[in-house]
Amino acid sequence: MNDLLKSLNIAVETGKRAEAKRLTQSLVDSGMKPLDIVEQGLVPGMSAIGEKFKNNEVFVPEMLIAARAMKEAMIILEPLLAQAGIKPKHTVILGTVQGDLHDIGKNLVGMMLKGANFGVIDLGTNVDPEKFPAAALEHGAHVIALSALLTTTMPAMKTTVDAIRASTVKGIKVMVGGAPISQEYCDQIGADGYSPDAASAVDLALRLVGETR
Amino acid sequence: MSQAFLPVSRLSFIASPAHRPMSRSTYLELASQDVALPIGAELVLKQHPDAHAVLLDGPRLGRVIEDAARRFRTPLAFPIMDLQLEKAVLLETLGVPVADVAKFHFDAAPDAAQITVVRDRLRSGALTPRMRANNDALRHIAQNTDLVPVGMCIGPVSLMTKLIADPITPIFMAGAGETAADNEEVALVETCLELAVTVILESLRHQIAAGAQAVFIAEPAANKVFFSPRQFEADGGALFNRYVFDSNQRIAALLAEHDVDLLFHCCGELIDPMLETFTRLRPALLSLGSSRDLVHDAKLVPDDIVLFGNLPSKQFYSETLIAPDQVEQRGRDLLAAMRATGHPFILGTECDTLHVPGCETQIWSKVDALLRCTCGPRPGPRVCVATSVT
Repeated sequence: MNDLLKSLNIAVETGKRAEAKRLTQSLVDSGMKPLDIVEQGLVPGMSAIGEKFKNNEVFVPEMLIAARAMKEAMIILEPLLAQAGIKPKHTVILGTVQGDLHDIGKNLVGMMLKGANFGVIDLGTNVDPEKFPAAALEHGAHVIALSALLTTTMPAMKTTVDAIRASTVKGIKVMVGGAPISQEYCDQIGADGYSPDAASAVDLALRLVGETR
Repeated sequence: MSQAFLPVSRLSFIASPAHRPMSRSTYLELASQDVALPIGAELVLKQHPDAHAVLLDGPRLGRVIEDAARRFRTPLAFPIMDLQLEKAVLLETLGVPVADVAKFHFDAAPDAAQITVVRDRLRSGALTPRMRANNDALRHIAQNTDLVPVGMCIGPVSLMTKLIADPITPIFMAGAGETAADNEEVALVETCLELAVTVILESLRHQIAAGAQAVFIAEPAANKVFFSPRQFEADGGALFNRYVFDSNQRIAALLAEHDVDLLFHCCGELIDPMLETFTRLRPALLSLGSSRDLVHDAKLVPDDIVLFGNLPSKQFYSETLIAPDQVEQRGRDLLAAMRATGHPFILGTECDTLHVPGCETQIWSKVDALLRCTCGPRPGPRVCVATSVT
């Protein structure tokens, strides 16, 4: 079992989709609980690639290919998790702010959060400010993550934070990121945290929900 | 706010019809004069309360671009850097409703017949109103001013990435040896790249016909987000060469055929061999982002390619990320450092200096600071240029 799990870690980290799928199926067939496969087989693989990304040892394409391998494995596991009534402990509402159509950074953050076993509700790009708190209410989310690539759409990030704070959603944490965003801007608009990259976004989300890796 | 003064003598050699076509020496001469050249026509456009209407009115847009060039004291009339135009015309030609264009992605590869339809319709002049206005603006610059009419177009790889929901993974798979024949996603990337080249070539033909003497090809996606440096190292750049160089080479060839200068821009993060690939396109000017160390790059770029950039204009909106005096100091330091390399260089912005609502004063103060970097002695009289474009 341990060898299979270790092989699955490596298959995810190196983005070997077919291998990840095959190993996941083998672990399911061997009777391992689906949540254990996620936590011991998939999450360590994504964490490893995330660390390498933070250290500039790998780049965005390697992250995406790893995330795709995990996604393939999750196609097998998701129905089993649902059947067992297992849901991720924490949920993040994710989206690119109004007026901005860029999604690479947002998608990376989503993949890394899923890789850390967060539930992720991706609202897509060009999202109206009021949709974020509405989705947070609907899904009982703990964190809202906002992305913007363009300096021209940064004001929409502030509008969105204002809309969240003015909504009936109380106590939710807001994290922000994207090429033009800085800690200074995060503080200025009243967000709770800023992440400079997708891998660090997981650490930030964990911190915001009061957990550590 | 910038003063609208123009040292006439700086222009006298460069853009009169008698001196057309342009030549590489034009940019080398500009570089030798220590000029500063922000890209920021949009800043000037957004000072007009009816900016949206201006974008659809070629002659007015032309006057805005002219006004921007005068304010920035540059002979190069850089247009608005709107990298959505070619995607819009492509998709509208294929019948995608205008409202859906921005978010549209192909699920399956367009067939050869669709590519032919796009090419033929664009060649026959079926452009969007925005593209027609841009071409009329180019005509205005070419026919009514002493400025250099500069065209603008997204690069083929960057356009391709806008046509596909996830282009990065299949690009990586192509680099790992999967081919269009055995992988549908790789096929989608390669067909969309061909479609992108087709649209860009037609867009450029119209811009050249309108009088463009130089074209700024903005290829920000040719970078290490879309192309893994590890894979680049492993395959010796073969994939980057096939996707980025080959497609841009077709564009460079069209421009060369018409004696139009290639000004190549990539503000993305690069590894050195990616930069060296760009130099093989033989652009007259190479514009790079603020992540690059231009002093280092001067060693990699041939001496007849002018380096341009790379002050961090994406941060100009912020009160604290970079202050006006820091812009000026950084600009002066960069000029001095580049002068020491001996490499031809024009001080400029890392990309288009975009308008950010509410931050106008901040941004303009930094554009002015950039312009102050080169306020040393300049020959010739100065003339005041009217800034009204209504």
